[in-house]
Amino acid sequence: MKALEVRNISKMFPGNLANDNISFSVEKGEIFAIVGENGAGKSTLMNIIYGIYTPSGGDILVNENEVNIRSVEDAIKLRMGMVHQEFMLIPRFTVTQNIVIGDEPHKGIFLDYGRAVREVRELSERVSLTVDATALAGDLPVGVQQRIEILKVLRRGAEILIFDEPTAVLTPEETVELFVTMRKLQAEGKTILFISHKLKEVMEIADRIAVLRRGKLQGIVNKKDTNEEELARMMVGRNVVLEIPKIDVEVGAVAFACHDLHVRNNRGYEAVKGMSFDVHGGEIVGIAGVQGNGQDELVNAMIGFSHPVSGSMELNGKNMRMVTTAQLRKEGMSYITEDRARRGLVMPYTVRENSVMGQHLDRPFSRGIRMDYDKIGEFAEGKVKEYDIRPGDVYDTAGSLSGGNQQKLILARELSMPHNFLIASQPTRGLDVGATEFVYRKLLEEKKAGKAILLISLELSEILGLSDRILVMFEGRIVGETTPDKTTEEALGLLMLGVGIDEKVQS
Amino acid sequence: MNIAQINLTIAQMLDYTMPILFAALCGVLSENAGVVNIGLDGIMRFGAFFGLLGAFFSHSPWIGLLFGIAIGCLVGALHAFITIRWNGDQTVSGVAINVIAVGLMTYLLEFVFSTTGYSPQIQNYFGAQAYRVHLPFLAKIPLLGAFSNLSFMIWFGFICTVLMHVLLYHTVLGLRIRTCGENPKAATTLGINVFRIRWFAVVAGAALAGIGGATLSISSFSGFSDSMPNGVGFIGLAAMIFGKWTPFGALGAALLFGTGQIVQSIIAVTGIAPKLAPGLTLILPYVLTLAVLAGFVGKSIAPAADGLPYYKEQR
Repeated sequence: MKALEVRNISKMFPGNLANDNISFSVEKGEIFAIVGENGAGKSTLMNIIYGIYTPSGGDILVNENEVNIRSVEDAIKLRMGMVHQEFMLIPRFTVTQNIVIGDEPHKGIFLDYGRAVREVRELSERVSLTVDATALAGDLPVGVQQRIEILKVLRRGAEILIFDEPTAVLTPEETVELFVTMRKLQAEGKTILFISHKLKEVMEIADRIAVLRRGKLQGIVNKKDTNEEELARMMVGRNVVLEIPKIDVEVGAVAFACHDLHVRNNRGYEAVKGMSFDVHGGEIVGIAGVQGNGQDELVNAMIGFSHPVSGSMELNGKNMRMVTTAQLRKEGMSYITEDRARRGLVMPYTVRENSVMGQHLDRPFSRGIRMDYDKIGEFAEGKVKEYDIRPGDVYDTAGSLSGGNQQKLILARELSMPHNFLIASQPTRGLDVGATEFVYRKLLEEKKAGKAILLISLELSEILGLSDRILVMFEGRIVGETTPDKTTEEALGLLMLGVGIDEKVQS
Repeated sequence: MNIAQINLTIAQMLDYTMPILFAALCGVLSENAGVVNIGLDGIMRFGAFFGLLGAFFSHSPWIGLLFGIAIGCLVGALHAFITIRWNGDQTVSGVAINVIAVGLMTYLLEFVFSTTGYSPQIQNYFGAQAYRVHLPFLAKIPLLGAFSNLSFMIWFGFICTVLMHVLLYHTVLGLRIRTCGENPKAATTLGINVFRIRWFAVVAGAALAGIGGATLSISSFSGFSDSMPNGVGFIGLAAMIFGKWTPFGALGAALLFGTGQIVQSIIAVTGIAPKLAPGLTLILPYVLTLAVLAGFVGKSIAPAADGLPYYKEQR
């Protein structure tokens, strides 16, 4: 039986056809994946099915009956549930409160909190998703927060579950756990829609896969009959090189070096506990590690956002321990961040303004207190062409660009500044295959040009594919150093979890 | 001071406290749903004038109170219409209401009563003996004696505080209101109509501000003065922040600020410290509020989505 069918769904946003005449159907008990680049219209489509957006046209059928979904309430009544990409949690509420909002156990007008807690505990036991029913949601790790979201949906009796990019925020281990849960739900007869742009995950979990590109359905394929390359081609519309080519570059002088570096996090605890390493010109050094093992604090210290408690830090032979970000940049540091919204770009500003930030006070972009917008515009136009930033109007705000194009804009700015040391912190986070490929190509070009590059990433394939040397970080320390040809994803994964540290893996 | 004087002082302190409390409760309800209402000072002014108007022509403070509630709802609906229906800036709308209230009430005062500065005094107000709540068994007990002969509005303020606490923390509606103030998008995904909840909170909150205004003109005093509410609405906002956006916190803060006011009048009347300018004691609530905001007296954190318009189809 078809659990869900959409016929000719379209959605018009001002100046943008986000969904163009999309039709497909999902069998009951199936895991159906919808893949596409960022901005391909996946989330829009799900928001329509779930009643958050009103479609401009088309029909939706649930259990082979035509339905009219005009609000989320309607969707919930039809036994649909959605686990959103950004969690819909209230950090100040308890787990139980978060799960029961909207369908609360009550006596008259009063909330029956005791019964709510009992219900949540029963449910969590029944589906074996462990949560502490009385903890504050904000105190829990991301993986557990997602469990709360799933429980929320199951409690409403959802039969069709929509997962919107659920793995984007998860560590590899949490992803494995999530997939176990999804299979369990499938075994119970639930129908699952899985939205993603990570092809490897889709190939692992889905039964059938629909591919979207620029709002249009490119095709639906069986997992058995396809592979990552074909999916990537359908998504991007051209051949995509997923393999990262190896290039050999002569290693130059030390650009960055630190010794016995100690850094505190914003709560005053030591998060980096004595790290020593160096990065040479023409070399990519990869830092592998599970999120939250001190990577953020290390980067903050390296870019001058916080000052190390002790230890030394040198850039091109100059002491850089207690200097400002501006001084570091002047000395030749560039920085690509994963946090495009808060660190990378000023979203309400235009592409033009964002393209020169950091050098906006230098000639030719300004003279004294006067900005020379003609020169800035020329520069931005050039970069937009060179980096193929779409849609390509320098007067667009950075916030209106897709994630991939935002990242291209950051690359354009950072790589055009005079620099010889580049910090790339999770440079492909949240990017689709096309944009990821672009970032890889640029990083390799940088390496070829003799720049020193420090790559921090949670994606092991990325670390293994790009790095010349790999440092494994665990609880604020380097617990292993190796090279890509002497290790595997599995071996790295174990090291990242702190397994076998006592023997101290040395290569 | 003897016992009778102390009792009288406490009763006076409560007279000062209640308008502040009603204003603060207005803020607590509205802001827990995510809508800032700095227009509550203006709504109090509306409530003070229309409350007096109702009481004056009907010779009954009860009708005056109803007038206060009605005008509060009406002005609240205006604020809701601008900020919820049209996603207007909540601060701008609030300021506009305050400015309108100043001019319009002055005009209406002259238009209706042909006087300037003060309306005629009324005999039937909640402060009059006939309308007080008499609890003779308390009269003999020290301190509690102050509560033996209070205006109905003072008891009503305490009751509203308890009701508000129950509403916000023990009812289904309360949980939903707070969800709208913390994360309206999450509320939507759970099938909650954010707009309806915010409308309710703003209008019901504004009714409380209207009551607060009426408390000034037909309970604490027996007439409308053109200087009303004299910044009480803003002190109420301060009490809301000082009380960490909770009803009992707001009550505590309002009592503290009310005490500050009575201390100020004692200083003024008795001349204990003639060199202490009265303006200095007036700023006390604001100094305390700034101290709270700066984190000196424990952190006070607003609801996460407080003051943010909500667009359902925002991308």
